[in-house]
Amino acid sequence: MSGPDAVHGEMPGFFPGRPGGERDEPLLDMIFDRRPLPPGAPPEMHDLARMLTVVAGPAEPGELAGEATVLAAFARLASPAGISPAASRSARRRLSVRPRRARLPMAAALVTAAAGLGSIAAAYVGVLPGPIQQMAHVTVGAPLPPHGSAHRPAAVANPRPNMTLAPGISVTRPAHSAVPRRIHSGTASHWPRHRMSVQGPGHVAASCIPWPGTTPSAAKPSPTPSPTPSAAKASPSPSAAKASPTPSPSATRPPVGASQSPVGADCPYIPATGPAQAAVPNVWVSPPSGDGGS
Amino acid sequence: MGGAFGDILARARAGDEAAFACIFRDVQPALLRYLRVIVVEAEDVAGETWVQVVAGLAGFRGDERAFRAWLFTIARHRAVDAGRSRNRHPTVPLELSEAAEQPAPADAADLALEAVSARAVVALIKLLPREQAEIILLRVVADLDFGDVARIVGKTPGAVRVAAHRGLRRLAELAERAGVTQ
Repeated sequence: MSGPDAVHGEMPGFFPGRPGGERDEPLLDMIFDRRPLPPGAPPEMHDLARMLTVVAGPAEPGELAGEATVLAAFARLASPAGISPAASRSARRRLSVRPRRARLPMAAALVTAAAGLGSIAAAYVGVLPGPIQQMAHVTVGAPLPPHGSAHRPAAVANPRPNMTLAPGISVTRPAHSAVPRRIHSGTASHWPRHRMSVQGPGHVAASCIPWPGTTPSAAKPSPTPSPTPSAAKASPSPSAAKASPTPSPSATRPPVGASQSPVGADCPYIPATGPAQAAVPNVWVSPPSGDGGS
Repeated sequence: MGGAFGDILARARAGDEAAFACIFRDVQPALLRYLRVIVVEAEDVAGETWVQVVAGLAGFRGDERAFRAWLFTIARHRAVDAGRSRNRHPTVPLELSEAAEQPAPADAADLALEAVSARAVVALIKLLPREQAEIILLRVVADLDFGDVARIVGKTPGAVRVAAHRGLRRLAELAERAGVTQ
């Protein structure tokens, strides 16, 4: 044969213009291996070698434009602590999404455990209502419930001032005052104290816990809720607590802010000193009066 | 990088940013040229590739060639992902994206007017069938042997070698037409 009998497009495996191009495979391998071509190699081979040398050459303008971004990612991800295999595994675990159905039982278990531990702790502190405290005494050996403390509401929110929140709780608060003041203070006592907080004008949250200094058997509910400290009551249980009609220094809470406050100054809502009239509390809860306190 | 690669890699794995920058500057041009042939969003895919490299750097074991093979394998996977994502969300008209990014292959005569740059050669290689173009770039630009290229593209070394030879022959023809060759 004197020449190619097929056009190049019909014989794609052959080198263009060179029938039997498979014979150039050693040259092509030399180009791939970046070895110098023999002087007698076809010029196309040299052109190919030159092109491939260029394409494998150093960076051209713009090709390193993303360096700052990649290095920032490196600095963020590849800190000495984060580059360790353990940290990488930890990061992968953090990135992995736990199935939702696996998270729900875990959350329920955590909530249950927290509630149980909290209940046990409350039982040992002795702040549970009487029947529950009694049950805790039987079951987990918690202290016996104080006599007469049958019920203590945990917290009451009252959007209006000067109204009774619940049986045994009365709140007196000037509507214009939004700054929480100390309700009472006192020395250490095994009785939890009344707690109140003002969460803004017209919003009062109160915690009704027996007043320190009173004995469990002395607490009596007031027949009628009263906005005055002397008439307020803390325990709604008629059988357990009765409020004294008149304030008693030992059983009822003095005017908020009065220096003769029976409790200490650890309550953030009660000013430590000040005239009784001037220090009318914006919120406060009267302590329960004892049976024999009146 | 030669024999210094092991030390540089160790420094980079220890958190040395300068060492990692050396690796980046050495590999990034080849990575970008490879990605420009096989995917439209070359820069984005390159960034994703480097992020994955950084994340997996602690677990990498091997020499420079193995590192390149690993990196280009990641790049290929990310390119495939990008292609799939683009196919699922074809929101940008072709004339505004892909066609706008490859003016050189559309007019091969332009290649003859400019100096033979890496970008021009990449544009020529992009005219090859996809498989041949990818193999040539992995063999030449990424500096991988046929065995590594075969593992990356999922073919036998013999098939890769044949495809590479065919691609080179066709590339020579294209270069001759474009006047790139001398």
